[in-house]
Amino acid sequence: MKDMMGSNPRGPLKPPMMGDNGGGGLSKLPMMGDNGCGGLSRLPMMGDNGGGGPWKPPMIGDNGDGVIGATWEGAMKKARTMSTETETESSSMKDAFSKYADYLNNINDKRERVVKASRDITMNSKKVIFQVHRMSKQNKEEVLDKAVKDLAAVNDQYLSRLVKELQGTDFWKLRRAYSPGVQEYVEAATLCNFCKTGTLLTLDEINATLLPLSDPSVEPLQINILDYILGLADLTGELMRLAIGRISEGELDFAQKICSFVREIYRNLTLIAPEMDDSSDMKQKMEVMLQSVMKIESACFSVHVRGSEYIPLLGSADTSYPLLGMPDLE
Amino acid sequence: MAFLNPSSPTSEKLEKQFVEFRHHLEESGNLRERIQAVATEIDSVTRIIYASLLLVHQSLSVSEVIEKAKAQIEVLKEHYSRLSEIVRECPGQYYRYHGDWKSETQTVVSLLAFMHWLETGTLVLHSEVEEKLGLIPTEFGLDVDDYLVGICFMSNELPRYVVNQVTAGDYDCPRKVLKFLTDLHAAFRMLNLRNDFLRKKFDGMKYDLRKVEEVFYDVKIRGLAANGDSVGEKQAQGQS
Repeated sequence: MKDMMGSNPRGPLKPPMMGDNGGGGLSKLPMMGDNGCGGLSRLPMMGDNGGGGPWKPPMIGDNGDGVIGATWEGAMKKARTMSTETETESSSMKDAFSKYADYLNNINDKRERVVKASRDITMNSKKVIFQVHRMSKQNKEEVLDKAVKDLAAVNDQYLSRLVKELQGTDFWKLRRAYSPGVQEYVEAATLCNFCKTGTLLTLDEINATLLPLSDPSVEPLQINILDYILGLADLTGELMRLAIGRISEGELDFAQKICSFVREIYRNLTLIAPEMDDSSDMKQKMEVMLQSVMKIESACFSVHVRGSEYIPLLGSADTSYPLLGMPDLE
Repeated sequence: MAFLNPSSPTSEKLEKQFVEFRHHLEESGNLRERIQAVATEIDSVTRIIYASLLLVHQSLSVSEVIEKAKAQIEVLKEHYSRLSEIVRECPGQYYRYHGDWKSETQTVVSLLAFMHWLETGTLVLHSEVEEKLGLIPTEFGLDVDDYLVGICFMSNELPRYVVNQVTAGDYDCPRKVLKFLTDLHAAFRMLNLRNDFLRKKFDGMKYDLRKVEEVFYDVKIRGLAANGDSVGEKQAQGQS
C-alpha cells in the first residue's frame, strides 16, 4: 500500500480538498483514537492519497456515464484477477474508488461550470429585460433594437458557453444547474419578441436559434418544455410591469394588447400546470401569474373608468380612441 | 387589433403550441406512472430480500440466508429490465425520471452489497452491481451516486451484525468487519463530495466504524479474540 502512496504524484497537491471531504472530522473524534485499533493509523495515510487518484481521464468525459463505464470494466477485470489476499483486496477497492473519485470530480467541476454559465445568462438576460422596460413612446424602435441586439449577444457569448459545456451529456442530469439561466433567457427572448411582433415566441423558434451554437456532430442542446413554460410564467410578471408603464404613458392600446396576451398565456397554462414534472413550483408561479393578470386588468379598468379625466392630462388626442374601442374587447 | 380576438392567427399559433405541450406532458406523465409502478414493485422485492437477510442476525448460517435472498435477485433483474425498456422509450432522458427509482435502487445496492460481503468479505464494485442486475451501462446504467449511497447504507448494517455475531460466539468477526469498514471508509475519503445526500450518508459512516471499533475493543481487551471462551456478561457491554 505504501508503494501506491509513493507513486501517486498528485497526493500532496490536494490536501485542502481532502479537508473538505468530511474525512477531517474523523481525526476530531477522540474515541476513535482511544481504542488503539490498528486500523485507525491507516486512515490518515489513505487520506493523503488525494481525491484525484492515480490517473485522470479527459477533463470532460463526453458522456460521463459512458466513458466511466468503459474504464470501470477494466478496473473490474483487474479486481477479479487479483488474489483474495486482504492487502490486494483493499487496494482493488482503492482502485475502484479512485475511478469513482474521478467521475465525481469531473461531474462536479462540470456542474460548477454550468452553474456559472447559467448565472451569466441570468445576469445578461435581466439586462435585456431592463432594456425593454426603458422604452417609451418616442424611442420604442431604438430601445427594442438595442434589446434585440443585446439578446443576440447573450446568445453568442453566454448561451453558447452553456451549450458547449453540456455538449454530449445528459441534459437532464444537470438540468437543475442550468435551469434558472435558461428560464431567464426564455423570459427575455419572449419579452423582446412580444414587444417587436406582438406574438409569442415559440419553443421551436427559440430552439432553432440554439442550433447554430452547437457542434453539428452531437445532439444539440434544446431547451426543454418545462424550462420554457417556467420562463413564460415569469414573463407575465415582466409584462405586468410593462403594461403599467405603458398605461402611465398613455399607451392604452399597447397595455390592452399586453393584457389580452397575458390572459391568453395564463389560460393556456392553467391546463398544463398540473401536468408539469415539478408541479408545486409551477402552482406557485400560477398564483403569481394570476395576480399579474389581475393587476393589469385593474389598471386597464381604472383607466377605462377614469379615462375621461385622464386623457387630457396626457394631451394626446389619439390615445382616446382606443378607449372608445375597449368595450368591444371584453 | 386582431390580436385581441381569441380566434386570430396569433392566438391560434399560441394555442397550438400549448396543445402540443399538453400532449407531451401527458405522455411523460404516463411514462412516469409506469416507472413508478415498477419502482413500487422493486421496493416490495427489496423488502423481501431485507427480511430474509435479517436472519443473519439470528445466527443462521450465511449460506442458508443468502440462498433465500438470492432467489429474489432474478425478480429484481426482471423489474430492472422492464424499467430500462420503459426508459428506452425516451432516449436521453434517464435523469429526467431518475428520481422515481433512485431511492429504491439505493436500497437494492445496499442489499446486494451486504450479500456480496457476507459471501466474499469484499466490496461489490459498481460494475459488479450492474452485472448482477443485468444492467447495460450504455442503455440503463447504475448512477454512481446511487451506488455510493447504497454502500453507505450497507455500512449501517454492519455494527448490528458484529454485535450479534460476537454474542453468538464469533470473536473473530469484529476484526474482519473492522478491517473492511476501515478500508471502505478510507476509500470513501478519496472522494470529493458535494454538500449533498451522499456526503451526509458518508459522514454517518464514521459512527458505524466507531461502533465496530468499540466491539472489537471489548472483545480484544478481554482476550476473547484469541481464545473462544464464552463469557456472556462481557458482551453485553459491547452492545450498549
